[in-house]
Amino acid sequence: MKALLAVGITMAFALPLAAQDKLFRWGTDPTGGAPFVYQDSAGKFIGFEVELAEYLAAKMNRRSIMVDGTWANLPAQLDKPADVEKGVDVIFNGYELRADLAKNYGVSRAYYAYRITLLSRKDNTSINDWNDLKGNSVGVLGGTVAHRHLMKHHQDADIQTNEDVANVIQLVNDKRMAATVQDSPAAVHFLKEFPELRIVGEPVKAGYYVIYCRKTDMELGRELDAAIRAGLTDGSFKRIYEKYGLWNADQEELTALLDQPWPPVMESDAVDWRRLMMDLVRAAGMTVLLAVTSFPLAMILGLLVAVGRVYGSWWLRTPLKLYVEIVRGTPLLLQLYALYYMVPVLSEELIPGSSAYFTPLVCGILGLAVNYSAYEAENYRAGLTAIPRGQMEAALALGMTPLTAIRRVIAPQAIRIVIPPVTNDFIALFKDTSVCSVILITELTRQYNTLYNFNRSLIVELVFLTAALYLLMSWPLGILAGWLERRFSTQAGGDR
Amino acid sequence: MIEVKDLWKSHGKTAILKGVSLTVNVGEVTALVGPSGGGKSTLLRCINGLENFDEGSVTVFEVTLHGRLGKTHPTKNLLLLRRKVGMVFQQFHLFPHLSALENVIAAPLHVLLQKREIAEEIGRTLLDRVGLKEKWNAKPAELSGGQQQRVAIARTLAVNPSAILFDEPTSALDPVMAKEVLAVFRDLAREGRTMIVVTHDMDLAREATIAHRMEAGTITRTGPPADVL
Repeated sequence: MKALLAVGITMAFALPLAAQDKLFRWGTDPTGGAPFVYQDSAGKFIGFEVELAEYLAAKMNRRSIMVDGTWANLPAQLDKPADVEKGVDVIFNGYELRADLAKNYGVSRAYYAYRITLLSRKDNTSINDWNDLKGNSVGVLGGTVAHRHLMKHHQDADIQTNEDVANVIQLVNDKRMAATVQDSPAAVHFLKEFPELRIVGEPVKAGYYVIYCRKTDMELGRELDAAIRAGLTDGSFKRIYEKYGLWNADQEELTALLDQPWPPVMESDAVDWRRLMMDLVRAAGMTVLLAVTSFPLAMILGLLVAVGRVYGSWWLRTPLKLYVEIVRGTPLLLQLYALYYMVPVLSEELIPGSSAYFTPLVCGILGLAVNYSAYEAENYRAGLTAIPRGQMEAALALGMTPLTAIRRVIAPQAIRIVIPPVTNDFIALFKDTSVCSVILITELTRQYNTLYNFNRSLIVELVFLTAALYLLMSWPLGILAGWLERRFSTQAGGDR
Repeated sequence: MIEVKDLWKSHGKTAILKGVSLTVNVGEVTALVGPSGGGKSTLLRCINGLENFDEGSVTVFEVTLHGRLGKTHPTKNLLLLRRKVGMVFQQFHLFPHLSALENVIAAPLHVLLQKREIAEEIGRTLLDRVGLKEKWNAKPAELSGGQQQRVAIARTLAVNPSAILFDEPTSALDPVMAKEVLAVFRDLAREGRTMIVVTHDMDLAREATIAHRMEAGTITRTGPPADVL
């Protein structure tokens, strides 16, 4: 009773306090986020959106709190309460005015009119216009209007998506990608940073950046609109945009738009199920390709390592053990980054002018093969050492070379022991292929994510479809493994 | 002819063989007897290179291994040596994933590189010789201990070695099964095979032309089996 009273008193005091200290928790993705939100050399977050947020918060008499997340997944944070960990009041990070988002969330007035801009290298003479994209690789931030624009108007281009704008720009700069499509603020920023790049063709007028909040949070919505109106009319936004070199004639329209009904009526694209299914199935094909090419390599590599470790001399065993520990002890993700982003830098440093690099697919296959070879090596080593020593001695006594003995006597017996763990690993690798999406490979999980970004209302259908495709592929593997196990165990018989 | 000269071997600080010398003439059957831990089996394993040794030498039909202070013998030397001398183990060590016939022809196929038809024909003859003609397709797990040991002997005969080493071939068998193996052994002895047998089995030792008693790494007595036992 006393405790209850205490709680009541605390609440009575806390409530008015909270009212004075209202929050403006804005969700953003600072990864490669210049000039929107990024870190300066001292680690402080800067960017035009940081300054806009500070301005808006001050106008609304709220305390500004930046909450970081991944760009494509932040909207889902609005489906949860704001008071949870990483909870947000709004998402504010170059989110375009889009039918799918506007349908589910409250939309603020536009704070910036952007264009989508095609960037390529100055010395790339083959791309001089949007229509030259055909057959060329073009990088884009997954799930953006720019991405959708490419899929709609440039289907014949090799569209590669990434989560990090900076990565894509770097790849274009290093001639590993022909072009990239960026929103105008990013394009302006990166042109300063990469003098080798240029704008190709006419930037396409695409739409507006808005801030999304919960539909139920009408108070915040009204405050936001008022604050944006103030910023646009009193010249504060203009000052911020000019500071970042982002002010242009397009922005003049924003003030005029303030008197128009908002948000404008937008028609959402009808769901093209056929296309959606085709996209998923094609991506599943990539998943299969990655798995069936990398795993045999992993097995061969693993077998060599295992044989070396079990039967080799110490000068062979030591480096092989080191190989296993290093490969097993570092994440696949990091290994893929290293193969894709580090190898070219390293090759340039060792042999200037060589600029050797692997394509994303080669990197993916190689990365998976190397990563899993360490696990396979350990499986095979366990199998080899499980065979009684007498088997090797008997084979040697018959005059077999150690290699013949392994091939004819030890390996056939070891197979039956290693089938279950190896199958397990194959199924695991199958799912680990999704990690390859970080190096611009569109496999099943990445495709799911892209489709989800464009069809947010279809999350249930998409999750189940994607899961079903994975199961459809991995289930037969389980059955095959069971069959192999039975076959080899009857063949091998008991061991004395 | 098998010649062991002043063989020394140790495991760390424990000496296992202390200067053992031994000659086995062609067609002779030599028995090594004595208490466990006396070094009999180690000596046998040195003769076909399964064990390394420190000093001395082993010569089997003109192929010689020299002591290398416990280091591994050169592979080429070992392969040559093992073409001359076969070995039958206490625990048989048949290959469990192969049938009796496949066990017998494994070395002819993969060491002598014989054609399969020829190897199988010889293999069946050998299985017949050890009394297991009917069991050619049985897996080791389906055979009794005695049958397994007889397959193991046939497997050794299949590469036609000049000498055969037997490491307690009947110790893991009951008396009835031991008799089956003894019969095969006696058959080989009559044929004039050069053989060395390490054994505690008196019946087996009596088949020998000469016996050596080994104790604590040295040969303490040599003579006709009846005297040494």
